Amino acid sequence: MTLFSLARKNIKGNFNNYFVYFVTLVFSMVIYYTFTSLQYSEKIQESIELSDTMSFMFGVSSIILILFVAIFILYSNSFFTRKRKKEVGLYAILGLRKKTIAKMLFYENLVMGIIALVIGIILGTLLSKLFAMILIKLMGSTADVDFGISFLAITQTVIVFMVIILFTSVQGYRLIYRFKLIELFYAEKKGEQIPKVSLISAVIGVLLLVVSYWLILKPFPDEFTTEYLMKNYGIAFVALFIGTHLFFQSVTVYLLRLSQRNKSRYYRGTRIIETSRLLFRIRGNARTFTVIALLSSATICFLGATYSGYYSNEKRAEEVVPFSYSHLSKGPEFDSQVESIIKADHRHPIKAQLDIPVIQVKGILSFQLDYDINPVQLISESTFNKAANALNKDETVSLSRNQAAVIQPRFTEYTKSVFKGENITIQLPQGSSKLPFVHMVESNVLPFDYPDFFLVVSNEMFAEIAKKEAPLTYKVYEVENEVTAQATSKKVNKLVGNDFQVSSSFYTEYKQGKEGNAITLFIFGFLGLVFLAATGSIIYFKQLTEAYEAKGHYEILRKIGVSRKDIRKSIKKQSLFVFGLPLTVGILHSCVTLYFTSNFMSNLIGINLIVPILTAIVFFVIIYAVYYVLTVNTYNRIVNK
Amino acid sequence: MNIVVEAKQIKKVYGAKGNVFSALEDIDLTVMEGEFVGIMGPSGAGKSTLLNILATIDEPTTGNIVVDGINLTKMNEEQLSAFRRDKLGFLFQDYNLLDTLTVKENIILPLALAKLNIKELERRADEVADKFGIRDILNKYPYQISGGQKQRTAASRAIISKPSLILADEPTGALDSKSATDLLESLKDLNEQDKATILMVTHDAYAASYCNRVLFIKDGKIFTELVKGKRSRKEFFNKVLDVLSALGGGANDVI
Repeated sequence: MTLFSLARKNIKGNFNNYFVYFVTLVFSMVIYYTFTSLQYSEKIQESIELSDTMSFMFGVSSIILILFVAIFILYSNSFFTRKRKKEVGLYAILGLRKKTIAKMLFYENLVMGIIALVIGIILGTLLSKLFAMILIKLMGSTADVDFGISFLAITQTVIVFMVIILFTSVQGYRLIYRFKLIELFYAEKKGEQIPKVSLISAVIGVLLLVVSYWLILKPFPDEFTTEYLMKNYGIAFVALFIGTHLFFQSVTVYLLRLSQRNKSRYYRGTRIIETSRLLFRIRGNARTFTVIALLSSATICFLGATYSGYYSNEKRAEEVVPFSYSHLSKGPEFDSQVESIIKADHRHPIKAQLDIPVIQVKGILSFQLDYDINPVQLISESTFNKAANALNKDETVSLSRNQAAVIQPRFTEYTKSVFKGENITIQLPQGSSKLPFVHMVESNVLPFDYPDFFLVVSNEMFAEIAKKEAPLTYKVYEVENEVTAQATSKKVNKLVGNDFQVSSSFYTEYKQGKEGNAITLFIFGFLGLVFLAATGSIIYFKQLTEAYEAKGHYEILRKIGVSRKDIRKSIKKQSLFVFGLPLTVGILHSCVTLYFTSNFMSNLIGINLIVPILTAIVFFVIIYAVYYVLTVNTYNRIVNK
Repeated sequence: MNIVVEAKQIKKVYGAKGNVFSALEDIDLTVMEGEFVGIMGPSGAGKSTLLNILATIDEPTTGNIVVDGINLTKMNEEQLSAFRRDKLGFLFQDYNLLDTLTVKENIILPLALAKLNIKELERRADEVADKFGIRDILNKYPYQISGGQKQRTAASRAIISKPSLILADEPTGALDSKSATDLLESLKDLNEQDKATILMVTHDAYAASYCNRVLFIKDGKIFTELVKGKRSRKEFFNKVLDVLSALGGGANDVI
């Protein structure tokens, strides 16, 4: 028997154990390949507006991915080696030379890695088209993705993964040299001991979690500085990190111990078995649980936040660029040129067409406001009402002569009460006038331009000021079906140029937002999937390793009269705990963090995050549930057949 | 006196067509209430197979077994588990204690599984702990106690549910001679004072000499039977040795 055939036999024999690892490995290769091929795909880049950003983002995320996958592979490998120490010891006793054993382990790892790589690249080539189509669909583009093989992506995937595979193979090679024979044999014999209860660290753990939650959920202060942000949330996340670890390390131990106190519950049925097993295993799992809880909460957060961005993009674009097209009037010839372009687009007929005269003046507020208000832009009451009506907004303003209504500056969170009872003094060359605020409306009618401080004033007042300070006129158009007006928007943009900080046509703003959000959503979606798959499979191995160790345990239980059905139930309960605990903690963490983010974001763009966040959480729970079922079945097959 | 075990025509065949090995051939066995029966024989004679079948862990190929009036061959898995829990007590060479449970939890496990009420459970735990002298170590874990203590813990667990039959598989196999004697004395007391019915498989003639009756098995058949009667333990021990040397194969294990 050659070494290669021995290595091949070993892989075959152990395939059941390796299966989930193998699938996860292949999956991460597929995703890596997809990312790199998208990064290099010119076809897709041509068809979208944000091509530079996209290439950069895929580049960065493939690096994050590979770092994560490298850690995952190393971690899983240390598992397998631990499991196989005894086998290696046996070869040594049978008289195989160390070098031969080392070579065998090296080949074994290499063969498996190469098989995974080949499958990964084949699947990657097949699936990357599908994934690219998902991305295109998310972005709302219509580009055709042809079935192309990206040699650049293949080369990069092969090189990167070969480095990792070779590294782990060398680790396998070194295994036999690192340990004494006796250590190899007694690897599995080391019994775990019952963890001691440390009330102090349990209390500290709970306190840290409470403190971090409190810091995160604390309402924003009036003065919102970067220093505050760093300090408050920096402390919060360190506390969250340590608190989570202590939670798994001590608090759970304490709670399980506490549950043992109630003897009449504890000494009833199989609870005694489950509780004591969990108690014994918890310390060994604490670190994994912590990493998994934090990783899944981070993934849920990112996924939830990006999905919210994607979900609410139209609303955000509508707010930033209210009309389909807006531009500053630059003389009749220019204006009619723009108008004819828009009119020529028969598939997007004009619904409303308005002139919005705006006067820019200098103003002084009667109070301190943390916002640069000058130049203040004035719009007349009737113009605003007409424009709002054209946009189907039910916000109207009615003012008497001297009054003013402020339009909430976009990307701020000022409320009506900020302006209540206050006034503004408008400075004109011929003297100033004081206007009291009577109202605040929430939506603007012109595209965003910093400083975004608009006042609606009465028609009389506007006319009066207009005599002294000539108004600028904005021409705005609202067309039907503005979300598809790609060609016309391009033409208009080209002609108009940079009138505002944002695009002058709604479509461009909408599309760019959609593409940007689609790319992040796509990336976080797949990164999240890889994270999930990897963490799920880590729990799966842990449980499997445990199952092999617990075989005797369950044999005893069957002998003293626990039925197979009850054993299965008991396995289910334990696995539920093992999968459910880190996931629950992760979801709790992410809910708290997302509450903060949504506070932050909805103030900025006024969007509802509940649906996207729930979607992200449900998605997580479903995937974990699949791993849970897989684990219960395999565990049961190992100990209960 | 009641019959506890009545096994008739027990046959156990391993392997498929062409390569058949029969571990047990037409074994008949009857154990009365309050008997302490030993089963001896050389390695591979079928002792453990027989015990496993009686323990319902394994099933016979053919034959009929009635334990405490219940026919084992007619029960499903669920019923068999309940039967093991309520009617049988086990004692194994490697103790079979759960290392995640304390001594006390190990002992009361059968009662906890049967969902006995807590007061009765505690009372019985104290009772058996006193009987086997392990009261001081009740809160220790198996990895903290000696082999002898482990086996006494296992014995406590075996009798706590007041089983109709205690099955012991080489219970002294891993013990030093002092601990082995202690355990055998305890089993004898259990048999004499509490009228416990014990069936013990052993290699060891010394352990067998504590029984009232010893069955010898060879090649899956009952070879002979020795009854202690009025003999002293010492005399019975010599008798057992005589049979063993006649039996052959087991002689190595005696010394």
